[in-house]
Amino acid sequence: MADAVRSRPSPIAWLIAPALLLFVLFFVLPFGVMTAMSFFSSNPVSNPNAVLTTRHYERFIVDSAGIFHDALWATLRIGFITTVVSLLIGYPLAHWMARMQSRLGHALVLMAVIAPMLTGIVVRTFAWMTILQDRGVINTLLVSWGVTTRPLPLMYNEFGTVVALVHIYVPFMVLTLTGVIGRIDERLEQAARSLGAGRLRAFAEVTLPLSLPGILAGSLLVFALSISAYVTPSLMGGTDVLTLPMLIAQQVGTSFNPGFAGALGVILLLVSLAIVIAYNHILARLAGEQGLA
Amino acid sequence: MSAALNKRPFDAGRAAYIALNLALLAFLLVPIFVVLIFALNPTPFISFPPVGVSLRWFEKFFASSDFMNALWLSLWVAGCVLALSIGIGGACALALARGNLPGRAFLTAFFMSPLMLPAILTGLALFQSYLLAGIGRPTWGLILAHTLVAVPYVLRTTLAVLHNFDRRIEEAAAVLGAAPVRVFFEVTLPLIRPGVFAGGVFAFIVSFDQFPVSLFLVVPKGETLPVVLFNYMKFDLDGAIAAASMVSILLALSVVLALERLIGLKAYVKL
Repeated sequence: MADAVRSRPSPIAWLIAPALLLFVLFFVLPFGVMTAMSFFSSNPVSNPNAVLTTRHYERFIVDSAGIFHDALWATLRIGFITTVVSLLIGYPLAHWMARMQSRLGHALVLMAVIAPMLTGIVVRTFAWMTILQDRGVINTLLVSWGVTTRPLPLMYNEFGTVVALVHIYVPFMVLTLTGVIGRIDERLEQAARSLGAGRLRAFAEVTLPLSLPGILAGSLLVFALSISAYVTPSLMGGTDVLTLPMLIAQQVGTSFNPGFAGALGVILLLVSLAIVIAYNHILARLAGEQGLA
Repeated sequence: MSAALNKRPFDAGRAAYIALNLALLAFLLVPIFVVLIFALNPTPFISFPPVGVSLRWFEKFFASSDFMNALWLSLWVAGCVLALSIGIGGACALALARGNLPGRAFLTAFFMSPLMLPAILTGLALFQSYLLAGIGRPTWGLILAHTLVAVPYVLRTTLAVLHNFDRRIEEAAAVLGAAPVRVFFEVTLPLIRPGVFAGGVFAFIVSFDQFPVSLFLVVPKGETLPVVLFNYMKFDLDGAIAAASMVSILLALSVVLALERLIGLKAYVKL
């Protein structure tokens, strides 16, 4: 078997050609173009006076208006908080699902987790706007119950942004974790318990450490997704929140500065690439362990 | 064995565990039901509690030419993406699983990477490329951009099916004298079909709901539904958005059911 796997490519290998063509022309090449554009003063095709320059990057580094660094920082901060909260919410659900004996129960929970995933980002952000705005569900209830006299500022700030982002990305965390927890032999925990460990201790000292790769992979995935979010921060953040993707959209839409947008894109891309590489590394290790079992 | 543990008369720890998880499930599902309430609530702006049930927002949605043009464009683009990504992604999965290609792990990661790289950057990079090439922002450009981010879904579901089925079935067919081409068309293809279709359904939804990739690639008056909704929501927050959202949620729901019937959702956990 092992020899067969290492033998020469079979004719079926040619089936990769259309995908390769699509990915080279519409993925690799465009990212190259974006990177190249970030080093030009203006569109080198339409403007013969365009010169090579690093001024877009200098503009970001010098940051004379004092907004770019804040935007980068806000992007990373929102991504980090979203990731931590998603983990706290996703882990119990994933654990529940992985350990569930009833097939029907498992299918129902799985559907409940996947259904929001299949609902568009715009729609889900809208749902949270109706819940968190001043006349929204939560504030109306709180005021009518007399808990508060004025509506609480639940959105048009970072709080609302994070709540909606968590809702959008928690399914990714759950799906990653369920797979990993499901592969941990339940008998290990039972052995710890029969040796006298309490339920919490058995979990904390057996299951939790064994699920660490899943925690890492899920967290990287959610972080990568939430730092590139555009819809949610721009609708839920109001004027309070400015993230890198919002800045990029501004540069394309209102300022029409594709060069600077490209530079911002390259910066965001570098951050994401680092995360993707780490994620694939962990996933490859997970697959390796699974292969051995 | 753990079932025996669970059957103790009352277990406060376990009750808390289940209560916590039910609360978390509610967090996931309640927003979707809230949208339904607002879609049916007749007041001119979003207000709670609802005062009645009416279909006026659905009427407004289906009567508005802006919304309808966007809906049809989205459905058309998603339909093309479905067809393209099934062909391209399905073929790619076969090549990866059966082609004895060198560097398979790297290639798989490469074809999956549009899922992890910021989609808004994919949109930006394509926008700049179209700009540089001077081709404007054609609909086929949008379709191919969506196909790029949809192919990984088809790839994932097809690879899951290919890994799950016993390769000896193919080998048995070959041993019994079937030519490779015949093995492919009569054994492999029927076996992976559910995976490919399930991926295609995913691809349809990914395209239909796509926002970040579309943002820079649509032209004014030629925007897809999510972009139109987004622009509308920046200024207006009324039931028409809720009604439009319901249409897309119902679509998603039917997709989940279709997926469960096609291959079972379990395949998605094995990422």
